[in-house]
Amino acid sequence: MKFRGGYNITLQGRPSKKVKILPEPEALYLPLESKRFDFTSIYVEEGQKVDTGDVLAVDPGNYDVPLLSPRAGTVRLSSTEGHIVLEDISTVDDVPDYDKDSIPHIARQMGASGEMRHKLLALGAWQFFRDAYTNELPDPMGTPQAVIVSTLSLDPFTARGDVQFKNRLLQFTRGLEYLQSMLEYQPIYLVIPKSRTKFHDKVKDQIRGYAWVKLIEVPLEYTRTNFNILARNLGLKRADGPIWGVKAGGVLAVDRALTHTKTSLVRIVSIGGPGVKTPEHVKVMAGYPIARIREQYAREGQMRLINGGFFTGRMLGEDEIGLGVEIAGITIIPEHTEREFLGWLRPGFDRSSYSNAFLSTLRGKFAEKFTTTLRGEPRACVSCNFCEEVCPAGIMPHLIHKYLYSDMIEEADAARVDLCVECGLCSFVCPSKIELREEFIGAKVFIEEEKAEAEAQRIKQEEAVQKEQERRKESSEENLY
Amino acid sequence: MKFLLNIFEKKIKPNFEEGGKLKVLKPLYEAIENFAFSPAARTIQAPHGRDALDVKRYMTMVIIGLLPCTIAAFYFYGLRLLPMIIVSYAAGGAVEVLFACIRKEEIQEGFLVTGLIFPLVLPPTLPLWMVAVGVMFGVFVGKELFGGTGRNVFNPAIVGRVFLALAYPTAMTTWVATGKGLFGNMFKYVNAPPAAQAVEAAKKLGEVATETANASQAWYSDIIVDGVTSATPLGGADVSAVDMFFGNVSGSLGESSALMIIAGGVFLLMTRVSNWRTVVSILGSAAVMSFALNKSNPDEYMPALNSLLAGGLLFGAFFMATDPVSGPITNAGKYGYGILIGSLAILIRNFSAFPEGVMFAILLGNIVAPILDEIVFSIRFRRLRNEG
Ligand code: SF4
Ligand code: SF4
Repeated sequence: MKFRGGYNITLQGRPSKKVKILPEPEALYLPLESKRFDFTSIYVEEGQKVDTGDVLAVDPGNYDVPLLSPRAGTVRLSSTEGHIVLEDISTVDDVPDYDKDSIPHIARQMGASGEMRHKLLALGAWQFFRDAYTNELPDPMGTPQAVIVSTLSLDPFTARGDVQFKNRLLQFTRGLEYLQSMLEYQPIYLVIPKSRTKFHDKVKDQIRGYAWVKLIEVPLEYTRTNFNILARNLGLKRADGPIWGVKAGGVLAVDRALTHTKTSLVRIVSIGGPGVKTPEHVKVMAGYPIARIREQYAREGQMRLINGGFFTGRMLGEDEIGLGVEIAGITIIPEHTEREFLGWLRPGFDRSSYSNAFLSTLRGKFAEKFTTTLRGEPRACVSCNFCEEVCPAGIMPHLIHKYLYSDMIEEADAARVDLCVECGLCSFVCPSKIELREEFIGAKVFIEEEKAEAEAQRIKQEEAVQKEQERRKESSEENLY
Repeated sequence: MKFLLNIFEKKIKPNFEEGGKLKVLKPLYEAIENFAFSPAARTIQAPHGRDALDVKRYMTMVIIGLLPCTIAAFYFYGLRLLPMIIVSYAAGGAVEVLFACIRKEEIQEGFLVTGLIFPLVLPPTLPLWMVAVGVMFGVFVGKELFGGTGRNVFNPAIVGRVFLALAYPTAMTTWVATGKGLFGNMFKYVNAPPAAQAVEAAKKLGEVATETANASQAWYSDIIVDGVTSATPLGGADVSAVDMFFGNVSGSLGESSALMIIAGGVFLLMTRVSNWRTVVSILGSAAVMSFALNKSNPDEYMPALNSLLAGGLLFGAFFMATDPVSGPITNAGKYGYGILIGSLAILIRNFSAFPEGVMFAILLGNIVAPILDEIVFSIRFRRLRNEG
């Protein structure tokens, strides 16, 4: 497989393989919104007692994906805005709360596969799936053209696949079997790193027997494992139907749901970055108070907590109190406070760069202590072409930037801004500190809306023309008489 | 340095803020503050940290790359380079600051490079006022008219140089012999050769100026010397390739020593600040072209190696054509650009009245660069159309 662009940084504070169980909190704060979901239909009432696995709310815009209660407790709806709060929580064993009679007609029609899919949705395993191209939740009852399973996360730092299924290889392969049984003949691509560790040899041995699993070995370089990039490299076209992308954790959730009829409410999440005291993995559920994590893991001083990795994660704001349902990793980076004297003149032994303009070039790889400094001032593009060199999507960020800068939206569309996978590498390397990624995200949304509007206009016009024709026809028929 | 930073932020800054007395000069203040202390700006969006390289560092690398040939220039032509550099920075910088203040934009670091490159492509004894006029013209016409660094079509140093070559052809073709020995001309101040001085003097009003000049010359007669007019290899002088390689040859200040240019240029290539594609294709195509000419008529055209080492070809290839802003941005475009410049430079040299063709070739290359890019873009678009 031939990849374009890509680049690795070595961020200090790589999470160890250790998985720690965090102490039980007094209360859980479940945010009603996450990157993909918006749980607007609330199923519970103020003061209601719920059990582990009960449905608290669903997202009507996303096939009624449920927000499940990670613990038993008492519901508070109004105490914290935008959150469902669970108080007096206790660990009651994960009771399978799955009602076979609730299977909707459409799933029933699909037979065994439909039942399985419904189970995944109801037990919260479906949330782990995303469409490789749109990044949205795929239709659980739809037919994908392929499934891509990735065991890697290369954005520093998100939970490592090998940590997630280290001791659960059997469950993992069983999960793959379930996936296969839901499909007809569509291939499952399993993405593993191109490195020769014992563990990966073991995985390979396990998989060898499955003719329907196609192994893809990728170099360990950011963003080789982006589902969108993988799909494009595999020659899968967007127009040929959805492509399901799922990570190791998702496959394990599938197994848990279908073998034990159990929910997967406790996730393995990484906590890493230069601002972390002991970088490691933790077992944690949605709603866990962020303040507790900050207390236990963040170093002294101003620290930024990021939901996700360094390149694509989102800053956890002051108003966010509990972890969202989609969390995969927390990265903590010191805020930039120190202004260096004559910083640009320093030999730069301690700072790596995509260019070789610092002495660190002579040093080889080392873990760098990044802070949130922009490391420069915004400038006009100096045409260094670095952004194009690192872009995994094969587009020309500098050109699209120039188009957007002069409001040439159509040209930006022709330059395929829609292919941008939002990996952030271009913004990272740009010496002129241009917020390319952010610009492109905005442009993509704008263009999509424009197109949708144009489409709506077109349909409206067509209807009007049709009506007009009918009217004419009628009147001409009238005239005949 | 906390103390100094405090003074900057608390005492000086308010004067330049909204409502301060010196608000107009805000860009200048910001440039100085961020020059002394790395900027305070934080990321607000992903990616949450950024690469260490910024435009300041980028331009600093170019300056470091220019140091070897600057030092060589001091060795061969003496102290006169110093006032030339100062004048170039002062005059060019003034234009840059003026426009930044008018536009209310930041001062762009690009002129730090222009200010140094410009004197290096001039004849060693060019009058200082011409240096000033040239650099101001270059920065104004070559850069500011297009909207500043990043939007300029031409390399400002080349615009200035070409302007001077057209406006003052005599002064721009007055060459002096290089210094020799352990220190060369390093501690001497080499004035224009007497013949050229006479031309200059005639232009000036009255005899007074020359007399004072003569008087002062008497004072420091062992430091201030008159240059000896000398021909460049392109002007017909018979110079061996070895001399040209080490730099024992008349020419523009920074262009003498091929060795030093290559040393600085290769450093720049290694830092990835300049792109090898441009350099390789310029030198390659120039070599092929001059080899062919030399084979066709060895008496008329110099050997390929001499042709590569003579004049500003190496300097132009390593430091001027690689200016990313005025060249093509695409890698494919860079090959075309290089080939065009390399072969044009040799053709202009041999078949026109201008023996020094590189500058014109790069200027032409600058014009063609956006077209080359457009071609590459349209090919890429076609390929991208069916993706995803
Ligand atoms: S954010 Fe988009 S444009 Fe930038 S490097 Fe990634 S894919 Fe390319
Ligand atoms: S990385 Fe930044 S400065 Fe360089 S070409 Fe891209 S947009 Fe321009």
